[in-house]
Amino acid sequence: MDSVTESNQPRIAPAYEDIGEAPTERRGEWGPRLRKLPRKLVTWIPLALLVLWTVAPLLVTLSVSFKTRGEVFAFPSLIPEEPTLDPYREVLARPGFRGAFVNSIVVGVGTAFLTLALSVPAAYAFARFNFRGRHLLLLLVLLPRLIPSVGLMVPLYRIAILLGVLDQRLTLIVAFTGTLVPLAVWLLVGFFQAIPRDLEEAANVDGASTWSRLRFIVMPLAFPALLTIGVLAFREAWNEFGLVLALTRTPGNRTLPYELFLMQDGTGLANYPGEAAFALLTLVPFLLVYLRIERFVVSGITSGAIK
Amino acid sequence: MQDRNSLIGYNKFTPFFFSAPALITVALLLAFPVLYALYGSLFRAEFLGAEPKFVGLENYRDLIADPAFLHALTRTAIFVFGCLILGTFLALLFAFALNRAVSRLRFFRAITIAPYIVSSVAAAVMFRIFFNREFGQLNQMIEFFGLEGLPWLTDPNLAMVVVILAQVWSDLPLAVLLLLGGLQTIDQTYLDAAAVDGASGWKRARYISIPLIAPQLAISTVWLSYATLTSLGVVLALTRGGPRRATQTLPVEMYETAFIRFETSEALAIVIVIFILNALLTLGYIAMSRRYEVER
Repeated sequence: MDSVTESNQPRIAPAYEDIGEAPTERRGEWGPRLRKLPRKLVTWIPLALLVLWTVAPLLVTLSVSFKTRGEVFAFPSLIPEEPTLDPYREVLARPGFRGAFVNSIVVGVGTAFLTLALSVPAAYAFARFNFRGRHLLLLLVLLPRLIPSVGLMVPLYRIAILLGVLDQRLTLIVAFTGTLVPLAVWLLVGFFQAIPRDLEEAANVDGASTWSRLRFIVMPLAFPALLTIGVLAFREAWNEFGLVLALTRTPGNRTLPYELFLMQDGTGLANYPGEAAFALLTLVPFLLVYLRIERFVVSGITSGAIK
Repeated sequence: MQDRNSLIGYNKFTPFFFSAPALITVALLLAFPVLYALYGSLFRAEFLGAEPKFVGLENYRDLIADPAFLHALTRTAIFVFGCLILGTFLALLFAFALNRAVSRLRFFRAITIAPYIVSSVAAAVMFRIFFNREFGQLNQMIEFFGLEGLPWLTDPNLAMVVVILAQVWSDLPLAVLLLLGGLQTIDQTYLDAAAVDGASGWKRARYISIPLIAPQLAISTVWLSYATLTSLGVVLALTRGGPRRATQTLPVEMYETAFIRFETSEALAIVIVIFILNALLTLGYIAMSRRYEVER
């Protein structure tokens, strides 16, 4: 899908630039350039606005994260007078932050793997077998995607109390996985159907079982898709707030968004540099794979994923 | 009967065996909680810790009579509507801009998706800093022009504006990419033909591109309203529903009812209301886009 996106591009430019420009009178150097100006502005002003809109909150936060609490109010300029790493040191020294960071990684990775473990066989069955009730069952898996996680906070909280599993990391992993399975199955069915059947049928003739065909033929071929879904699931788990708010009670089990929320709640004066540093530190795992993520998101979107 | 996609040679029970784990997960973690919420909303405990008694639809009747709930409903409507208008406008503007960015598309697209990796709480932190009355960059700019900075987060109306901006900022990347995907599938010859006939850029966008991406517009509208109607993190972390309950949306009201006032049954009734509104909005958009396609 990404290739479609890219290949369309070169055609567009000449089409717009040429039209209406053909009989160029040579009235000095600036004539044609000036006439092109409005068209260029139409392209570049929205793009500049896009960058400003997206980057401004991040930039301001970055600036504040390099200031001391006093400097935030005394010198509100964007570029810090005396840049300091103290806010970062302060956040990294908080036991709450370190614990939550580890929890977020454990829960994120756990969610990604559990989601894949449940979705891959199901998607394979829906993509490859023409069994009785296939459409009905697929609908039953996909339809619950319309259930928002905010609506699950209270019911899952009550159920977790009844089962005695409130305030456990595994509970978070299981709950997040539940909200992600419909999306993952939906994406994977598409990916699997795109893999040619012939390979598998040859293996079948050679006596490979259904399971080994999935394991040794389909999964390696679908690896980019599995990675995409793993990353999307990790992000959902990493950033989820409502369910963590509902399902955790003690500091040792919270993930990062809840911990950041509690930092805001701190008594006395708001610690803006600390909050800013905290917020930016939560982005670290994504910065490492940012350019990959962009590709994941785009391919996720183009194959019909909305979440 | 074998269809094109079906494999030869498999046990009759294999597909059920393969799909059962996912089906059971979805049933237990998504379907069951909804039924549980529906069931629980029909009961009520007279005081905290008492045995809940069946009260039928009384929780819902009380909700409708509760000024706090009606207030939350109004604020939610303003919030969702504001996010939809601003979100759709910006998504269209940016998608058209990206579609013309041509050679630098990858660079600008990478910037566009930045908010996607920022959690709702982190986004709220960023907007609280940006809109801070004393040192926020926006007020500094306003003061630079000799005007007085605005109390963004303490004025009820302005706080709603800030919350809408923050929510749209968080949710925009997917909407932009969705519309961009639509724009990129448009056959360039339509636009060229219109240009030769003298249609201005604005007219080409209005009468050719936008109708052609109607399906993507419908999906992005559904998604934006879903995301904003069910948003808790941004609002809670930014304003806690304040000032003076001006940003008290339904999810915030639900959170307070369940986890601060511990009125579980009432909270479950609000949950059901959120589900119903969500389903109605989705069905409404689907019906709308169906009708549109028939006309086309």
